[in-house]
Amino acid sequence: MNRYCATLAIAALLLLCTTTRTFAQVDALEQEAFQQATALAGPSIVRIETIGGRDVVGELITGTGPTTGVVVSSDGYVITSSFNFIAQPAQILVTLPDDRRFTAEVVARDTSKMLTLLKVDVDGLEPLAATPKDDLRVGQWSLALGRTYSNTFPNLSVGIISALGRIDGKAIQTDAKVSPANYGGPLVDIEGRGMGILVPLSPQKSDETAGVEWYDSGIGFAVPLEDIYAVLPRLKAGEDLAPGRMGVTFEDTGPLAGEAKIEQVRPLSPADEAGLAAGDVIVEIDDEVIDRIPRLRQVLGTRYAGDTINVAVRRDDEIVRTDVELVAELSAYEPAFLGILPVRLPRDADATGVEIRHVYSDSPAATAGLEKRDVITAIDGTPVSTAADLLKELGRKLPDTTLTLAWRRGDAEQTAEVTLGTMPDELAEELAAASIPAPDEEAERPERGHLSRQLAGDERRYWAYVPDQLNLDYDYGLLVWLHPTGDTMESDILEQWRAICERRGIILVGPKAGNISGWTPDDAGFVKAVIEEMRQTYPIDPARIAVHGFAGGGNFAHFVGFRNRELIRGISTVAAPIRIPPPSNTPEYRLQLHFISGEEDALAEPIEETVEGLRKMGYPTTWISLPETGRAYPDEATIERLAGWLDQLDRL
Amino acid sequence: MHSALLLPARAWRVVLPALVAATIGLTGAPRPAAAADLHDAIRTTQQRVVKIFGAGGIANLHSYGTGFLVSDEGHIVTVWSHVLDGDVVTVVLNDGRRFYGKVLGAEPQLDLAVLKIDATDLPYFDLDQAATASPGSRVLGFGNLFKVATGDEPVSVLHGVISAVTKLTARRGRYEVPYDGPVYIVDAVTNNPGSAGGVLTTWDGQLLGMIGRELRDTDSHLWINYAIPIGELRDAIHSIRTGDFTPREEEEPDDNPQRYVATDFGIVLVPDVVYRTPAYVDDVLPGSAASQVGLQPDDLIVFVNGELVHSIRTLAVTLGRLEAEDDLRLIIRRGKALIPVEMRVPRREELQ
Repeated sequence: MNRYCATLAIAALLLLCTTTRTFAQVDALEQEAFQQATALAGPSIVRIETIGGRDVVGELITGTGPTTGVVVSSDGYVITSSFNFIAQPAQILVTLPDDRRFTAEVVARDTSKMLTLLKVDVDGLEPLAATPKDDLRVGQWSLALGRTYSNTFPNLSVGIISALGRIDGKAIQTDAKVSPANYGGPLVDIEGRGMGILVPLSPQKSDETAGVEWYDSGIGFAVPLEDIYAVLPRLKAGEDLAPGRMGVTFEDTGPLAGEAKIEQVRPLSPADEAGLAAGDVIVEIDDEVIDRIPRLRQVLGTRYAGDTINVAVRRDDEIVRTDVELVAELSAYEPAFLGILPVRLPRDADATGVEIRHVYSDSPAATAGLEKRDVITAIDGTPVSTAADLLKELGRKLPDTTLTLAWRRGDAEQTAEVTLGTMPDELAEELAAASIPAPDEEAERPERGHLSRQLAGDERRYWAYVPDQLNLDYDYGLLVWLHPTGDTMESDILEQWRAICERRGIILVGPKAGNISGWTPDDAGFVKAVIEEMRQTYPIDPARIAVHGFAGGGNFAHFVGFRNRELIRGISTVAAPIRIPPPSNTPEYRLQLHFISGEEDALAEPIEETVEGLRKMGYPTTWISLPETGRAYPDEATIERLAGWLDQLDRL
Repeated sequence: MHSALLLPARAWRVVLPALVAATIGLTGAPRPAAAADLHDAIRTTQQRVVKIFGAGGIANLHSYGTGFLVSDEGHIVTVWSHVLDGDVVTVVLNDGRRFYGKVLGAEPQLDLAVLKIDATDLPYFDLDQAATASPGSRVLGFGNLFKVATGDEPVSVLHGVISAVTKLTARRGRYEVPYDGPVYIVDAVTNNPGSAGGVLTTWDGQLLGMIGRELRDTDSHLWINYAIPIGELRDAIHSIRTGDFTPREEEEPDDNPQRYVATDFGIVLVPDVVYRTPAYVDDVLPGSAASQVGLQPDDLIVFVNGELVHSIRTLAVTLGRLEAEDDLRLIIRRGKALIPVEMRVPRREELQ
């Protein structure tokens, strides 16, 4: 059995296609070619078995049957799909085609292409030769091989190459049947060479079970073997490979996005350190022209953390080139804190500085000697006249940054060096409500009090409470109440919050789930639309919009809050740990979180873990743990403290 | 639990056959000679395949299936299933004629049933002419999947290759099927609702096997596509036809007799705390069989009599099935080494 046989078979086959031989003969030769290709690759295909591990991962029951791997080096290295180890088994065993068995160790993982490299203590194995990537063509025969049904002859499925460069340039697509019966096995060409290693992948998701739902569907993926050989030395050295990140966001997103114009550069990210800036347009990476964002994803998709890429950007009609070393994880961004609350002025007020409503004790501002009623006039020489100006100057600074602050006390101008700190984990001391003057009784004002409404064109309803003393000259906080499953709690919430709303200048709004038996992701758009409608009708301070939920409503508050960070500045929940991993914190969104839990509640521990996790991610997070309390909506005193938190969302 | 994972795949099962059926019907123009061969093979086979409609249909079970003619006087082979529960079923021939079919007999161990309709001069498969095939062979699957064929419409055709020839016995007890012989695993999605009882043939129309019912491989939790080779069914079909058929003895109904436990060999395993606790040796009783062959605490039992030990549970099942005087062959992992040891299974009285 050798490669010539297969080549001869193909040659004969080609000849036949052009002559008048019968179909049956062509068929027989094709069939023979499939079998020979399989036999040629066979010695490099090993069986993998696992012992122990979890029986359920997510919604997937993990298999216990054998899986497949491919020899990539004669001294015992085997590459396979990470899917085969989702159960995190205690032991991995490899059986060679000659039935010799070995224990295997995991050497390294590639979390970008979902591959795992194993090592067994044996020499003299036959590594699988790779099809050169340049030789791959859509339409070529491709055979998906596994060693799951029998150890004597690989199991095979025949298809063709459906596409190249799929999943951000990482994978070949085939219509051969790909499933756990061959994940980790090779996709081979008609000559028995390895085109790629079969793995489940999904264009939308990146977790380890992503793409499994497409098994046997005619949509299968394989990571080109040549790409694997290119990074094999790194994997062999025990280096885990992860997708590379540079730390930029783009104005334009989605599959039809246009030019790669940078919207934000994460402070301390590789892009930041390489000098890239907002407004730069990426036009080239490693000499490949980037005409639009999907092309950029294709080029970056195959790059790993630790790789250095050469990026060319267009900046003011000039081309600037710089090297960027990609990282696996961007360092957590934690917003800087000066330690003041600005006075909330009437909407049309003409300000020449930011008057201080409150100075936090032990804060950088307190250390610098700032006091209530002082007026901040400049940061590092840049004049600031409103709280928005001040936020613009401070919002992208990092903790420990030192800057020069200028302020006015009475008629005296003062300056001081201030080193910024971080937001305290504890809620601030008692904070008096910022009073809003009584409105002009003559003025025409929108509906107030307890309201019930419906969005135009939507059957879902919401209720709201707008303070009777609504003064249109001032901005109000907006608290979005997300009720628990099965109960809107409308009258209870109204009773507990009505006086607070009047005193602290808060508008309360309560959207109702489309189906009272629980919030669905579809309701998130509705909640957002309700917030928008409230903003159009009432004077709402964009810095003080928060979602607040209890139990199931709390879980939904996390979902809505993290999905709409451009709109929502605070997430406050009662008895609700975070269930989905939150996105990393970024300076463009100033999100703060507040948790309330009862010590007797079984959720107390997961909530504590959630709080610790969020703090590590740099999110300003406060937490009230109530003694002798189970899973309940909290009492008046706790609500008062929560209202205090809401009243401080605009702290700087 | 499975629905989230499987719904998309099952959706494809609907689309694929439709596409394939359409493609096979329409292509061929560029290669007239070739198309004629394949077309003839398919036409000949389709004439011998029948659609079966039964009385089942409760609890979301489909009440239709496929069968194939094995005599010119109306003997039909199909899968033994709830579709046949009503004793009398409706059989629709390829030409659209309808008959009442009577169940002549069934062999549950082979998942096999034979029906009879009152008709003569029918085209049929000669079971003695059936072929065999190896992995990589190109095959066609015929069945009335999702009952898309009605009246005189021919059943749907799918194409693929044989992925593997494997024995289901290797995983007996984890398949929800009594059949324990070899099967052809196919890379086309042949086993859909309604396909059971259809046929698998070579590309030139030679009969290979009967498409089985829909099954999930409980090792991998995937739907599998398979056919039972005709050679496995031939004798039973013949016996049922001639009337001298006696169903095979039911195998021992107790799947987990628990005759022996690990401590019978002097092996104390670690506590079985999670669903798949690996079978680590916690202690070895002094003077026991295990201590004589040198088992040590912290050894991991990885194979028992050739079967992989996924967990303490799977080990317990295998030990429970042992009989006195059997060999107990273990492969244990100590450090990186795999070490085989062998013990004799003691008689019960020796254990007292």
